[in-house]
Amino acid sequence: MIGGRRSLQGRKPGDRRVRVDRPHAVYFRYTGKGQLTAKEAASVPTTPGGRLIAKIRAIVLGRPLHQDEEIGERLSKTKALAIFSSDAISSSAYATEEVILAFILGGAALAALQWSLPVAMGIAVLLAVVAFSYRQVCIAYPTGGGSYSVSKANFGRLASLVAASALLIDYNLTAAVSTSSAVEQIVSAFPSLSDVRVLIGITALGLITLANLRGVREAGNIFAVPTYLFMFSAFAMIAMGAYRIVVLGEHHAPPPEVVAATAETAGAVSIFLLLRAFASGAVALTGTEAIATGVPAFKPPEARNAATTLLVMGGVLAILFIGVTFLATNFAIYPTVPELFGTNVEHKTVIAQVAETVFGSGSIPFYLFQSFTALLLFLAANTSFAAFPRLAAVLGEDGFFPRQFALRGDRLAFSMGIVLLGLIAASLVFIAGGRTHALIPLYAVGVFIDFTISQAGMIRHWLRTRDRGWRYRLVINAIGCSATAIVAVVVTSVKFVDGAWFVVALIPILVSMMLFIRREYDGQERELHVREDLVIEGPHREQRVVIPVNGINRAVIQAVNFGRTMSRDVRAVYVTEDPDDAEAIRDRWERQIPGVPIFIVESPYRAVIAPILAYLDVLDKAWPPDKEAPITIVVLPEYVARHWWERLLYNQTARRLKQAILGREHTVIADVPYRRE
Amino acid sequence: MPDNETAQFQRAVLALNGAPSDARMVRLVASLAAKSKAELIAVHVVEIDWTLPLDADIAGRSEDVQRVLDSAEEIAEAFKVRLEPVLLQARDVAAAIVDEATERGADLLVVGLPYRKRFGGEFAIGRTIPYILQNAPCSVWVVREPMSEEAA
Repeated sequence: MIGGRRSLQGRKPGDRRVRVDRPHAVYFRYTGKGQLTAKEAASVPTTPGGRLIAKIRAIVLGRPLHQDEEIGERLSKTKALAIFSSDAISSSAYATEEVILAFILGGAALAALQWSLPVAMGIAVLLAVVAFSYRQVCIAYPTGGGSYSVSKANFGRLASLVAASALLIDYNLTAAVSTSSAVEQIVSAFPSLSDVRVLIGITALGLITLANLRGVREAGNIFAVPTYLFMFSAFAMIAMGAYRIVVLGEHHAPPPEVVAATAETAGAVSIFLLLRAFASGAVALTGTEAIATGVPAFKPPEARNAATTLLVMGGVLAILFIGVTFLATNFAIYPTVPELFGTNVEHKTVIAQVAETVFGSGSIPFYLFQSFTALLLFLAANTSFAAFPRLAAVLGEDGFFPRQFALRGDRLAFSMGIVLLGLIAASLVFIAGGRTHALIPLYAVGVFIDFTISQAGMIRHWLRTRDRGWRYRLVINAIGCSATAIVAVVVTSVKFVDGAWFVVALIPILVSMMLFIRREYDGQERELHVREDLVIEGPHREQRVVIPVNGINRAVIQAVNFGRTMSRDVRAVYVTEDPDDAEAIRDRWERQIPGVPIFIVESPYRAVIAPILAYLDVLDKAWPPDKEAPITIVVLPEYVARHWWERLLYNQTARRLKQAILGREHTVIADVPYRRE
Repeated sequence: MPDNETAQFQRAVLALNGAPSDARMVRLVASLAAKSKAELIAVHVVEIDWTLPLDADIAGRSEDVQRVLDSAEEIAEAFKVRLEPVLLQARDVAAAIVDEATERGADLLVVGLPYRKRFGGEFAIGRTIPYILQNAPCSVWVVREPMSEEAA
């Protein structure tokens, strides 16, 4: 890159110096021998329209981040807890209710007070096992991908794709379900908004998508506060409630409606009912795997930080879940469902009633807690936005997803995955009409299939590696695998008719789709592969140039001159419907451009493109069969439009011709633009 | 290391010679410039001998020469400091540096000095730095690279 030089006079008469221009410096920087690194200016669009779009993007999404700033985009443990755990932690807001509801629907509402806490503790033990297992996953598979990576390493392609499909489905459902659930909280408070619930849900998903497109760290800043507000206010509620129960000895009797409704079946608790309650409450575990999927998003040491965050998340969730269940059972709180209280009673959630009992009905702390809960439920969707794009990126790197999913956007976020998740979740909210119960049957099925595969993978991992303490870890994973497998079967069978069948059917479809994509990539790679021992000689095939022309003008002459630099076999083709015009053109062409023959193609049917293609076919057929086919270079003279509206007026035929020739065997298209002086 | 008062400058010219000590020098000055929002000008002079015309196409063609300035610019960017790279060809490096600093109105000129000894063990300071110390109109900092273990 040679620049200009300017001579300058120094202070003393003999002192002269020359300042050398560095034209590359605006756009590039030399970083090694023969190696240039592009600066930000090189990525700036050159057209006014492109610059405007870039400016709008910068305002909405923030300025593009440099590759080196990636480390700055990594998450600290506190922000990661908020980003990856909002789903898991928010489930403490409804998991207790799910357990109690299972007893009510099983006709044993009174037994809920006795059995809900042991069930919750059982789920907490399962949570500990799953959390411990995923902690091992973070350390053993620090590249992210969670159960997909575990099953890929230990079971191979098919199992890993089943795990990935199950997770992909569940991340989409988590985003849709938590958004719908938050919308329902808002609609409960302001019933007049019921008609616009879908719009609220889609707008909320749009905002979450936008926040995530601005980058991981920024999303962390936005989402950290509500998560911590909920966590600390819930801890305060549990501490105050526990003090009243344990120290002051406060206990409430069950409401008369519950006693009346369950008088006949009180105490009849079957194993099946306990299992069903266990499976219902186990929705609390959804989101536990998200951290293991996103290990690379953590600050170094990534694996260690992710593992610690996972344990903290498990601990927080367990305390909140057991704490809320303890308070609910001691205060004899039931969700005001029609099965117990009739259809006239307004639905009030268990956690809302617990907060009402502890903080006092209508008190400011009660309303604050309720708003924190609603906000957190909204943000629970964000866990999916953190995990889904990363899983899609890992799948993209492995060739099971389109490769653009593995590319980071301007803000170093996996933009394609974020946008896709936003679109699918918004569609689900739209289809379900913004109602959670329409989506619930599809929910949590995938997660438990995924847990089971991942823990089975870890069992295989320990058997294979036999690292220190492998026996103890293997036992933990084996217990976890069995427990999650039971829950997976129970959840799937309980919800099968209501919609879980759809998930079960969708998994093989997704697996087939991913295998298809991989096969396509593999095929392409095989076709483009160049043997490493091959030394590439110079070109040996003959070349000929064909120039479709529309007369004699400056653009055509420029194209003819360009064509002459590539081959001696250059010919022009002129398609016309008028024989007189053809003769006139030929006379003029032979006089003005004598070295290049022109072939007139009369087209009485007025077609332009097809006769040119037919002419190319004839040329190919006329080539001696014993010689290797030549490369035909079709040179297209193009007039460069100065304004967008001019583009509508020029080059339409050339554009159609280009489309028609694209992909033709042994044919190359060369555009020769003519710019107005 | 300069104290806070002497560290005040608005426009500094850094004379780069392509040695490893350049990076140390740019980091030092950029860290100070970041605080005072000072402007930095990195100058690299390619000496042209009398057998060639002064405006011969030498410096512009050399990747190594370009890399000296590009590396300095990259270091300054890391400190969020603007650094203007200037590439010069001259018969006399020292005069070109002083002239550039004078023309730019610099209030500080920083030069790097490799630790070298002449045959016989005497410390070698070269011709450039004494000329700069004698002729530069502004303050001059000399950043000497540390002694090698062998020399120490």
